[in-house]
Amino acid sequence: MKNIILEANNIKKCYDKEYVLDLENIKIYKGSFNFLIGPNGSGKTTLLNILSMIDTDFKGHIFYKGHKVKKDKVDVLELRRKFSVIWQNPYLFKGSIAYNIGLPLKLRQMKDRKVEKKVKEISEELEITHLLDKSHNELSGGERQKASIARALITDPEILFIDEPNNSLDYESSRYFNNLFSKLIEEGITILLITHDLYQIENYADYITLLDNGRVLKSGLYENMEI
Amino acid sequence: MDYIFSALKEAINLIITLDSEVTNVVGTSLKLSLTSTFLAALIGIPLGILVSKIDFKGKYFLNTVLNTLLSLPTVVLGLFVYSIISRKGVLGEWGLLFTIKGIIIGQVLLILPIVVALVRNAIHDIDEKMYKTALSLGATGSQKFRLLISEARYGIIGALITSFGRVIGEVGVSMMIGGNIKGFTRTITTAIAMETNKGRFGFALALGIILLSLSFIINFILYFFQSGESK
Repeated sequence: MKNIILEANNIKKCYDKEYVLDLENIKIYKGSFNFLIGPNGSGKTTLLNILSMIDTDFKGHIFYKGHKVKKDKVDVLELRRKFSVIWQNPYLFKGSIAYNIGLPLKLRQMKDRKVEKKVKEISEELEITHLLDKSHNELSGGERQKASIARALITDPEILFIDEPNNSLDYESSRYFNNLFSKLIEEGITILLITHDLYQIENYADYITLLDNGRVLKSGLYENMEI
Repeated sequence: MDYIFSALKEAINLIITLDSEVTNVVGTSLKLSLTSTFLAALIGIPLGILVSKIDFKGKYFLNTVLNTLLSLPTVVLGLFVYSIISRKGVLGEWGLLFTIKGIIIGQVLLILPIVVALVRNAIHDIDEKMYKTALSLGATGSQKFRLLISEARYGIIGALITSFGRVIGEVGVSMMIGGNIKGFTRTITTAIAMETNKGRFGFALALGIILLSLSFIINFILYFFQSGESK
């Protein structure tokens, strides 16, 4: 079994005095393809927001590499900058795709010339250099997703959180993303992926957490699990 | 027809020769409008963001009042400000009546609701996903705020241009508060009204052409920014 990179204990999240999440424990394994599955409304995206520290309004504790994460500004920002999130419908900021891809580095105060170099490198790697000069609203769904992946990867994140990336994508784009994610795992990146895609689960999952109604129904190595 | 043509000829001549009286009136108008818009922006942009982002009791009522004030008749506002700054008014001792400062106060009050409401709308129109994305990219609180302003920039600039267009063309406040004093508080609109009554049609027409041109430029810039929104 691989090392745990991120662990959450006794996580509770309320909306309008009703618990939408009530989890005892969830583990994310380093350098693995961790899948978060479950029916619609089971709390997958809510959990992703909490684990990625986008949402800090919850009860419970998060441990990163064994260290308890404080919910203060410094700890939260530091952790957010170690993670990247790829959303189901990515939001691109007004401006060129090059601007969008380089934005996380600019927010980390990196100098313009270095940002440009990194944008060029990641775009070449993902074969999207032809998109760099386009405007944020000139792209197709698949291209938007590719741009958002480049934006997520440019910071060399330790954990990549991905929320249903293949929704509304054509077969070619889905295949492209699946291959890319496998390559990232080989390079040592940890991925937590929300999906309903059985093909993805069967072919790529290392660890699985099955959520239902805000609770963990099953969790563990995919090969040992009956779903 | 000869009357119109000769007036038009005189108007064009006044503009081409940069007649001192015309330039003085246009200068006063531009100075007043730019100052009023700048001050309204200073107060209105933060207020618009607050009204959009913060929930509080009475927000619905405030938004209704704001929307109502968008079409506030300038003479009604002029009357209101006059009642406050005239000699018998609450601020009568400040001597603001028939001064540039008095007009600016009136104009700021006139366009403040426009700035607040349009900035509120611009901020409100920003997709909720923007906030989550900014956080996930590692933005600090202030960086998130700067991204928000940047995303709403076309809407905010549009609010300021619309406000400038409103003050440069208003007559009620300038006339009632400024008193249309030659070389001091006389603006394009008050001058047009008076000179037409006096029969100096060519002079009024010259100012009308300039005002129309300014209006065209304002709308041209506004359209430029609005089309930038969709790019």
